[in-house]
Amino acid sequence: MQFQNKVRRNEWFGYVAVDGRLRSPQACAWGRVNGRHGKQSRLGFWPKFCSFKHTAATSALALLLSLILPVQATLADQASATAQGSSENLAQLSLEQLGDIEVTTASKQPQQVQKTAAAVFVITQEDIRRSGATCIPEALRMAPGVQVSRIDGDHWSVSIRGFAGQFSKSLLVLIDGRSVYTPLYAGVYWDVQNVMMEDIERIEVIRGPGGTIWGANAVNGVINIITKSASDTHGTVAALGGGSVDQGTGDVRYGGSVGKDFNYRIYATGDMRGPEFHSDGDGFDRWRMGQMGFRTDWKSGDRDNFTVQGDIYNAESGERVSLATFSPPAQITPDDTGYASGGNVLARWQHTTGEGSDVQIQAYFDRTNRQDIELGETRDTFDVDFVQHARIHDDQELTWGLGARVSPSNFIQTSVAVNFLPNKQTDSIYSGFVQYDLPIVRDKVTLTAGTKLEHNNFSGFDYQPSVRLLWTPTLRQSFWAAVTRAVRTPSRLDQDVDFDIFIENTPTAPIFFEIQGDPKLKAEQLIGYEAGYRNQVNRHLYIDFTAFCNTYRDLQNYGPLTIAEGATPPPPHIFIVVPYANGIQGDTDGAEIAPDWKITRWWQVRGSYSFLKMNLQDKPGYTDVGGLLASYEGSSPRDLIGFQSLFNLPKHFELDETYRYSSALSAQSVGSYSTADVRLGWHFGEGLDFSVMGQNLLRPYHYEFGGDPGPLVGIKRSIYAKMTWRM
Amino acid sequence: MSLVIVFWLFMGVPCLQSEQPKIREFEVKAAYLYNFAKFVEWPDEGNNDGNASFEICVLGADPFGATLDAIVSGQTIGGKNVLARRISKPQDVNHCRILFISSSEEGRLKEDLTALENARVLTVSDIPRFAERGGMIGFVLDGNRVRFDVNLGSTQAAGLTLRSELLKVATNVRKGTHAGDM
Repeated sequence: MQFQNKVRRNEWFGYVAVDGRLRSPQACAWGRVNGRHGKQSRLGFWPKFCSFKHTAATSALALLLSLILPVQATLADQASATAQGSSENLAQLSLEQLGDIEVTTASKQPQQVQKTAAAVFVITQEDIRRSGATCIPEALRMAPGVQVSRIDGDHWSVSIRGFAGQFSKSLLVLIDGRSVYTPLYAGVYWDVQNVMMEDIERIEVIRGPGGTIWGANAVNGVINIITKSASDTHGTVAALGGGSVDQGTGDVRYGGSVGKDFNYRIYATGDMRGPEFHSDGDGFDRWRMGQMGFRTDWKSGDRDNFTVQGDIYNAESGERVSLATFSPPAQITPDDTGYASGGNVLARWQHTTGEGSDVQIQAYFDRTNRQDIELGETRDTFDVDFVQHARIHDDQELTWGLGARVSPSNFIQTSVAVNFLPNKQTDSIYSGFVQYDLPIVRDKVTLTAGTKLEHNNFSGFDYQPSVRLLWTPTLRQSFWAAVTRAVRTPSRLDQDVDFDIFIENTPTAPIFFEIQGDPKLKAEQLIGYEAGYRNQVNRHLYIDFTAFCNTYRDLQNYGPLTIAEGATPPPPHIFIVVPYANGIQGDTDGAEIAPDWKITRWWQVRGSYSFLKMNLQDKPGYTDVGGLLASYEGSSPRDLIGFQSLFNLPKHFELDETYRYSSALSAQSVGSYSTADVRLGWHFGEGLDFSVMGQNLLRPYHYEFGGDPGPLVGIKRSIYAKMTWRM
Repeated sequence: MSLVIVFWLFMGVPCLQSEQPKIREFEVKAAYLYNFAKFVEWPDEGNNDGNASFEICVLGADPFGATLDAIVSGQTIGGKNVLARRISKPQDVNHCRILFISSSEEGRLKEDLTALENARVLTVSDIPRFAERGGMIGFVLDGNRVRFDVNLGSTQAAGLTLRSELLKVATNVRKGTHAGDM
């Protein structure tokens, strides 16, 4: 319950995911359900769906439960015995002491998630710590429905419910309310999205469309990274780590307060990573990054909270690039270092206007600079958002907001083969949304409906409505269903690119593909149908089940080819011109199940199974010349399994194991694989913690995803040790 | 005295300091409920109200389980044994001195508080904005710590006196109208 207050107080968009009366994302068009896609496909979907729900997903759960059940009873007895002892001690404490105790909340999934009509998964600070993750993409592996595939040492593909790629274009990522989705490439540069891991409060992962609140590009999901308030980071933390792949990591943070109401922290973090496995011995994927930043939170009276925060960073990402050259040899594949730097500053004011009502205003500025042998870009983003919640008639809630983002950018051409025209462009988004929460049966059934209206410079006006229904028959159970519409707006890559790829040398002239952006390219559209069930079976066991069918229109592929000739620079060369087009449609069906079992106070296990089936086809009149359809379908696994066991051992030791399985990715030439991590942690006392992590232990290396020119890069078995000191 | 207790806290419960908290939210709340009793004066306290025990009651779905009973067992307030009792409707409040209103009552909060208007009982809850909505003490989470807000208007209307020790520790103390702005 307090979770909600807290979320509202500290976060801008964060409340959306965790707040009970979900004003969540989503979009749907009632008119379209019976329109173009037709009733038939809808009706045909559910029976098919049910069949796999009862096979794969439930058998995975049954297996999990059967593994755990035999030992559960005895361990639970011991746990309740220890609980008694501590309760009596608590009675002796003063009010001040009670207020200083750090507590774990009753269940991992806060009450609000239980009351949310969307597929939300929360990764807590404790989860991150015990996963041993040294960067955000690795921490995201815990969430069901999320595919994290490591391409090499400094590149990842992170996607939700399909459409994986180094730039997963239909996934929106926010850090403290600041969008890190780049309008150049439509996706996220994960190599520069760094946060001091110790200062993350939680990561909310919302599977499914989120357009109603978050706006465009929240098509398949939203990842919301939320750092702690400065009032929760008093004191000094210093962490040092090193290992075989994560060669060096160092974090230091200092936080304090001036008076009771003004809190601050400053931090600096640096990381160095070595290459993964390369069969040709060319370890190009070395990575280094340094970042520092601050956050202040000021509470003024009962009603006002001000947050100001900022970061600056500098990174060098090793890479190998394939570049066309019009003079011989027509193609080069050099090792290169991409340089990236940037910074941001964000301010947020939240004002409570009354019972369940508040107003929030947030503004930020973000600068990114990137340059490598292939291309360069500098981009400034100015963003202002306003949101108001108003409680109406006691239990109805109106949420509305306005937003504007202006993003001037300058493309720097560094190779003849890649250009974006015009080089200078200012991208903009203007949006408004409104959402209403209407309890139909008090405490039992709630209807949430809303829409986003948005205008952007790429594809003009769009609407992203959603309707959600939540039924909570008991406090511990909830059923929900949603129909939503969301769009993925074109990016500069889709509309403005001019990108040449060498194909082959012929006796007369070398031949190149020329991929051309189409300024008339339309937004990709999704109508998503989702349903979910959650059950907090008892204090220890929680199960979350979700099923979905997403129907897509106007997905991107390549349009009809034309032939052109080029004369300069000599020798003459031939272009096969391939324009982007909106030529693919189809649907994806899937389900995710995620049980979480706190077997005893000292042993917790959780698992997840995610099933995904993609059925895409060319739109009538289009042929997929570039193989994008096969790439969409063959880059996301049909089956994804995760299993985690967390032991609290005596003497303040922790032993944590993670197991993951992914089925094959045909388009990436990656076979199915399983891998496991083990972490041993020790709270030494005096504020000192030690941990040792063995990662990808099952084999010397395995492949997760393609993308680099040359042979696939193998993800290595590695070891990593870390020491953390808190004062 | 408080120094001694702080010392005891660190010596006796070393895990409190460790990275991974071992105490659960509801346990701390249960301990607060008992603790509040020491800092509140009820108008009829001097009189012998005919009840042999000091009752801490829980209205609605009980989040504490055996923890609350374990905490109060063997404790006395004003010479009376402390007892935990569960009630299902506000009309059963009778001799309750402290009433914890469970979050299951959120939808009925307004009715509950109206029904409790003439009761001399300290209302405590973790329902969001409880103190704002006319309750007396509302638990709030401050990071991983359990803190509380106080609505003085509500306590005064019920004739309860809160000692300054309690008010000093409160995160927020609301004055003014007790009914909040519901």
